[in-house]
Amino acid sequence: MSQATTPPPPDETRTAAIIRPGHSLSSVTDKISKIVLQRHTPRGWFIGLGISFALVMLLLWSLTVLLVKGTGIWGLNIPVGWGFAIINFVWWIGIGHAGTLISAILLLVKQDWRTSINRFAEAMTLFAVACAGIFPLIHVGRPWLAYWLLPYPNTMDMWPQFRSPLLWDVFAVSTYASVSLLFWYVGLIPDLATLRDRAKSRPWKIAYGVLALGWRGAARHWDRYETAYLLLAGLATPLVVSVHTVVSLDFAVGQVPGWHATVFPPYFVAGAVFSGFAMVVTLAIPLRKVYGLEDFITMRHLENMAKVMLATGLIVAYGYAIEIFTAWYGGSEYEMFMVQNRMKGPYATFFWALILCNVAIPQLLWSRKIRNSLLALFLISIVVNVGMWLERFVIVVTSLSRDFLPSSWDTYEPTFWDWSTYIGTIGLFLALLFLFIRFLPMISIAEMRMLVPAEEEPEEEEK
Amino acid sequence: MSEIDARLSKIQGRALRIGSVAFVLLIISGMAGPQRAMQSWLLGFLGMCAIGLGSLGLLCLHNLTGGGWGHAIRRVLEAATKTLPILAVFALPLLLWPQGLYEWAHPEVVAADPILQHKAPYLNTGFFRIRTVVYFAIWIGMAALLRSMGSVFERAPSDANGRRLRTISGPGLAVFGLTLTFASFDWGMSLEPHWFSTMYGVIFIVGSVLSTLCFSILVASWLARCEPVSRYFQPGQFHDLGNLLLAFVMLWAYVGFSQYLIIWSANLSEEAPWYIHRLGHGWQGLALFLLLFHFAVPFLLLLSRKTKRRHAVLAGVASVLLVLRFADLTWLVVPAFERTNPILGLILDVLAIAAAGGLWLGAFLSALRSGPLHSVAPPGPAEAQPASQT
Repeated sequence: MSQATTPPPPDETRTAAIIRPGHSLSSVTDKISKIVLQRHTPRGWFIGLGISFALVMLLLWSLTVLLVKGTGIWGLNIPVGWGFAIINFVWWIGIGHAGTLISAILLLVKQDWRTSINRFAEAMTLFAVACAGIFPLIHVGRPWLAYWLLPYPNTMDMWPQFRSPLLWDVFAVSTYASVSLLFWYVGLIPDLATLRDRAKSRPWKIAYGVLALGWRGAARHWDRYETAYLLLAGLATPLVVSVHTVVSLDFAVGQVPGWHATVFPPYFVAGAVFSGFAMVVTLAIPLRKVYGLEDFITMRHLENMAKVMLATGLIVAYGYAIEIFTAWYGGSEYEMFMVQNRMKGPYATFFWALILCNVAIPQLLWSRKIRNSLLALFLISIVVNVGMWLERFVIVVTSLSRDFLPSSWDTYEPTFWDWSTYIGTIGLFLALLFLFIRFLPMISIAEMRMLVPAEEEPEEEEK
Repeated sequence: MSEIDARLSKIQGRALRIGSVAFVLLIISGMAGPQRAMQSWLLGFLGMCAIGLGSLGLLCLHNLTGGGWGHAIRRVLEAATKTLPILAVFALPLLLWPQGLYEWAHPEVVAADPILQHKAPYLNTGFFRIRTVVYFAIWIGMAALLRSMGSVFERAPSDANGRRLRTISGPGLAVFGLTLTFASFDWGMSLEPHWFSTMYGVIFIVGSVLSTLCFSILVASWLARCEPVSRYFQPGQFHDLGNLLLAFVMLWAYVGFSQYLIIWSANLSEEAPWYIHRLGHGWQGLALFLLLFHFAVPFLLLLSRKTKRRHAVLAGVASVLLVLRFADLTWLVVPAFERTNPILGLILDVLAIAAAGGLWLGAFLSALRSGPLHSVAPPGPAEAQPASQT
């Protein structure tokens, strides 16, 4: 074994720092907590929240009209019973995958670059799941009876259909939402204590203090915190996969051409991660600019996320390709018609736009130059968000509008209320996000401090 | 060093002897029943392909992600990719006589079957041969390129060389995924030419990587017991390999069960027969056995840190899994054949796996011995640290 030995292939992005050099423990704490604790709120924040809040009002208005008049105000019709409600549900749930993936899976595989993006990615997950949850509830038509979805002994002697993935969705999504919330909150506790200690005014001290659950930063606290955090990460990991698997089964267990494909579960999960990372990039680029967080959310983070987008985008493209090939190879005339209908039918524009957004444009990410250009990355991430919405539209609408019997075909056209509800949830998402970045640390102070090189002597430490 | 080499050479000789004897016996049996021998050979061929091709995929992956796990098995992977030309030779019977295996290769069957006529532009002997040749040309070329750029990088580990290595590994991984998918359609899925599943390629890829992981863990663990190479292997690396193995065991169950659930729920006449063949006629026993010992038991064992950090224990799990990989392949492939004498079929299967396995192992060991047995310096403190998770 005299052979000269060499180091592992270095990754130049790995040499790019995940925290800009020169930071000390206190500068990290100052920089992040200042955003929350400063008296002065930037005007842009008020404008942003104002617009988002107006959209929340639009959502409430749309929901009120819906409850008064019923789902007839939507563009649904008999073959297309799953319109915008299901498209938007799947889209939001997909976006809600990045947070827990970044937090849990990247934690378990020891990817330290997750640290500065995990907090707001988790918050984004919660808000996206909240938006997603609205849609199935209102889609059932009588939301006040939605509790019938839960299996409980009742006088009607009625149980939900346990064989239906739609019921599994209820369990999968609610479990995912609870574990994600818990994960996010547990991660916040040390930071809430920091804010409690640094807050100037008494009401804030009390508010953060109550939320910090008496955290003192004792060695025993840290020990238990780390254990709890790891256990939650282990719990959350299978949930990330399970949620979108169940969502994919909503489609795949049926026989509708274009829905029934065995590759759906892994391909949906990859699509969810694809759209989730795209959303994180969309949000991270303006946030780091506005709040001057370039030291913490570095180019390395963005480039790594771009690589994840490229990889998952390729898996999604693989799904499309195999689906098209198998539609021909399988020899079923309905499957072949479905592909033709997607490519040339009334919704062909959507299909080709989807291919452009999800398959063609993301290939630009092969280039290092593009991955390191903020503008290009920002635009591509938006394109991917649009593309993933189109994908769900194509899957839901083209398949349903023209299935086996031509006599039952019909076209689907979204109405004003479809759009207003959808745009309203975007407003809700953004409004929650604006509140979050104002009142809670958007980057984990405690974890960032662990990344500060040890030789930097702490100037002060939280008790 | 020479002591290890002597031991490897001894194993190599033994593998080649076993392989040749089994091969000769298989040929003799083939004279009595060529179709039977072909069916068994397909199993041996696919089993060995899994390791050669899985190595190609893992090599690309490691070039892209780095990580201590890859350094422990890098030489094994490289040596396994050197066996791809041998695997191409193993494919010769399929190319020369596809009629021995595939219904669609018989013109009279196709003439009576409208679905097969529809598929004829893809499923015909000429195109099948061309595709198999093209797959192997791509794989052999890619493997040679990866090895040569890998060695350039190891001699001069500059950023530029590292980038070049990754520049081919990224697209390489994509090409690997697509070619292996279609190879699995051709060699495996088309055994039942009416049946189709979009998941089939994924199941095959996951299975290949799993076989490769098992095999390379076994070799790495063997090397880790031999002085002086043992110092190049760290418990942390085996821990990571164990986690990777766990992930792929779960992935295997995930993709396999997803396909089953979707086909079972829809219960369509063009899809269900594949499972009817595999969950009846005694095959349900094997299915249950695989569920328990290819998933549940290794899953539970691999959850424990202790299993993963002690390479001998990990190798034990990997060796059982490697054997079960062949059982899984049997479950995927053999029910497609109508065997009048299942006992003889089983004997021939074992013979074919011994033949292909022995000859392949001989080729692999000769490739492994031709270079150094470890890829990098003993890992630095960062990698030698005990992994703190799971």
